[in-house]
Amino acid sequence: MDKIGEGVEHLLHELSVLSINGHEVPSSGFVLTNYGFFLIIASLVTLTFFVLGARRVKLRPDSRYGSLVEAGVEFVRDNLIGDIMGKAGQKYLTFVGTVFFFVLFNNLIGLIPGSKPGTGTMGTTVTWALVVFVTYHAIGIKKHGFFGYLKHYWPKGVWAPLAAFVALLEVISDFIRPLTLSVRLFANMYAGHIMLGIFSIFAALMFEASGVMKVVAILPIALQVALYALELFVAVIQAYIFAVLTAVYINGALGSH
Amino acid sequence: MEALIPKVPEVIVSLISFLILLVVLGKFAFPPVTKMLDERADKIRESLEKAEDTRVEAERLLEEYRVQMAEARGEAAKVIEQGRTIAESMKSEIVAKAKEEAEAEKVKAIEAIKSERAAAMAELQKQVADLSVDVAGKIIGTSLKKEDHAALIERYVAEVGSLNEN
Repeated sequence: MDKIGEGVEHLLHELSVLSINGHEVPSSGFVLTNYGFFLIIASLVTLTFFVLGARRVKLRPDSRYGSLVEAGVEFVRDNLIGDIMGKAGQKYLTFVGTVFFFVLFNNLIGLIPGSKPGTGTMGTTVTWALVVFVTYHAIGIKKHGFFGYLKHYWPKGVWAPLAAFVALLEVISDFIRPLTLSVRLFANMYAGHIMLGIFSIFAALMFEASGVMKVVAILPIALQVALYALELFVAVIQAYIFAVLTAVYINGALGSH
Repeated sequence: MEALIPKVPEVIVSLISFLILLVVLGKFAFPPVTKMLDERADKIRESLEKAEDTRVEAERLLEEYRVQMAEARGEAAKVIEQGRTIAESMKSEIVAKAKEEAEAEKVKAIEAIKSERAAAMAELQKQVADLSVDVAGKIIGTSLKKEDHAALIERYVAEVGSLNEN
């Protein structure tokens, strides 16, 4: 059991935010963190994938790569934006698309053994959730004017004290959004990696043990494979949820009066 | 709980990365792809409309050709019928003419045969007469004796006499 404890402790240390050379992050000054490193890699992969891919998209499709990029963009255009915001939402394609693919690539790259998801740390998810928060409010204010936009918190035709109470709840729920958005993504990625890590520890310990235990190690390994598939699914789903909520928030800000 | 506190360096890295991605993808990735998708959609729509137009036009032409074909067939049948009528009448005309000519030919031939025959008869008569005179002459010349001569004269005289009586 000590070994398991040690293993888990090691795992948690591995998954915590450290500087790229394995030290604690200092409270002041800039260091590149382990998550930040993989986030930059994911940025480069996303950029390369789309900038090169966009050139392969021809009027007459002639490459699978081009078709893949097309399918991705079409998915964001039709399924994320089209279904939620309709035609009017098309000008937010770049924003929602960037959110979706950046989160997706980070999640997927984090699944490569030895790497970390850039989205597996609160630093990243909070930042992006706040970017989304600021963006959809800015879009709402741009459309309705500052006071016009504020009015949407106030329910119409309701007894004033009750309306004030509802407005208070609305404002609170609105301000909780970045928190839920960021914690949901972070927790999913972080928890997924902890699960994968723990099953690896089990497998490794059983394998080190003698006799029958070596054979039993097949169980956590099989589970590990299943979990990996699940994590792949979670990686895509979480990116989708993050992007869908972004679109929904923007749509709410546009539609409010 | 420590994991829930965002680290400032990560905020900086993720914010800058996001903004760079937003700008670059917004310039070089999404607009060209959506533009191409729209262009393709337009092109497909155009092609479909064009194909529909072409189909309608083709059907119209086909119908036109059908009508023309039917007309041409009718025309051809008429021409053939006319030809046949003309040929029929020509045939009967030619046959009639041929018959007529043959008849004329026949008549002419009969006429010719008749006159030939008449001529031959005349010739024959003449020759017979001459021959008879010759024969008669010879007979007379050689065997006409005194008494015969006298008898002949007598008979002649008698004949002449009887002629006179008549």
